[in-house]
Amino acid sequence: MRAVSSDVVLVIVVATALAFDFTNGFHDTANVVATSISTGAAAPSVAIGAASLLNFAGAFISISVAATVANDVVDAAVITPTIVFAGLVGATAWNLVTWWFGLPSSSSHALIGGVVGSAVAAAGFHAVLAEGLVGKVLIPAILAPLLAFVVAGAAIGASYRIIGRQRPGVVTRGYRYGQLISGGLLALAHGTNDAQKTMGVITLALIAHGSLGAGADPPLWVIASSAAAIALGTYSGGWRIIKTTGTRIIKMDAVQGFSAQGAGAAVILASTHFGYPLSTTHVINGGVMGAGAAKRVSAVRWGVAGNIVTAWVLTLPAAALIGAAVYGITRIFGTGALGPLIVTLMSLSLLAAVFARRARRGAPVAVS
Amino acid sequence: MTATIVDWSDLLQTIAASIVAGVGITVAFSFVIWGTARFADLRREDRPGPAGVALAISGLAAAVVALGVVFGVIVMTTK
Repeated sequence: MRAVSSDVVLVIVVATALAFDFTNGFHDTANVVATSISTGAAAPSVAIGAASLLNFAGAFISISVAATVANDVVDAAVITPTIVFAGLVGATAWNLVTWWFGLPSSSSHALIGGVVGSAVAAAGFHAVLAEGLVGKVLIPAILAPLLAFVVAGAAIGASYRIIGRQRPGVVTRGYRYGQLISGGLLALAHGTNDAQKTMGVITLALIAHGSLGAGADPPLWVIASSAAAIALGTYSGGWRIIKTTGTRIIKMDAVQGFSAQGAGAAVILASTHFGYPLSTTHVINGGVMGAGAAKRVSAVRWGVAGNIVTAWVLTLPAAALIGAAVYGITRIFGTGALGPLIVTLMSLSLLAAVFARRARRGAPVAVS
Repeated sequence: MTATIVDWSDLLQTIAASIVAGVGITVAFSFVIWGTARFADLRREDRPGPAGVALAISGLAAAVVALGVVFGVIVMTTK
């Protein structure tokens, strides 16, 4: 009976993880295409379609980040599938809150915050691997957007010097073509870093369930399903976030767009190689601000940028608190599958109510 | 304390790779644009020699961009 219950929880965890991955694509990937759309390099439908395909492909090119999430953030020996479930619900809830208010946050940090919060609620602070959390998540999280800011700023400074006296029409057309490459690389980078977090969490749940040994790599079905979920999420929308990143932070030209995307792709791909779970939201916004500030500091709308930074700072603790609260609710119903089932039903009901309210108001829920 | 829990070697390599790739590819692509624009202008001015040099710079820079992208993806897939 206990084994059946554990299997049910595992199925719920995998479904929730894939749903989270879908919301990650829905919420985050808009940041990837915003720059191309804002500069006129690609039509929204083309940019989103291409980003979906490249997200799917990107998920297959590395598993370093998945290994970090599965083995280096929380102690797999004390984790249960229910803890992973609670963390996922916390992360998804925070993603939807920031989506509702049109604020870019970080799905990655929401996920890690959610899992850390539920693990602490279940097993205490010793369940958290401080070395991995600080060395592989927190420090790269602070450095990555700053690095993207500096790289984009340096890149655009050099670019303006090189192309300074050429005819603007030729330059704009050329960089718009270039954005097909830089935007594609950014989408590939997003796919490889973000989809791996879901792979890592599912792998963690499989290890906790006993289906995989400690330190195992994600199986192919986990990689393929995570790739498909993030690609579908990307294709489904995220238009509110596009509006914030693409036009409200800074009005960009094609040179700035190329530099921001190139900086973002370089930082994410290099970080992915070393297994750092980053957020494209952090990195691309750092790149966008760097590209803007290098041209003219006053071109950046620092008030909007400040709101975004606030959302970033809140993400880890907010998702952790929600994850811990969800774990507490599941435990009210015991250690079996009943708690996760009830929380799932409650979450789905709440989601349906939120989407119905939005539909009644006439605002678009998603644009495909 | 921080020194023991952070792998600074990996972190510094990440920073170096990001700067080299991010700035390098953007600069190389800028030379593609510069070379193409100069080639068109110089050809219109009927100066085939300098136009050829501009085109060669543009082609070389395009090769650097392409090789940089391919190298990056290969490095990603081989760890």
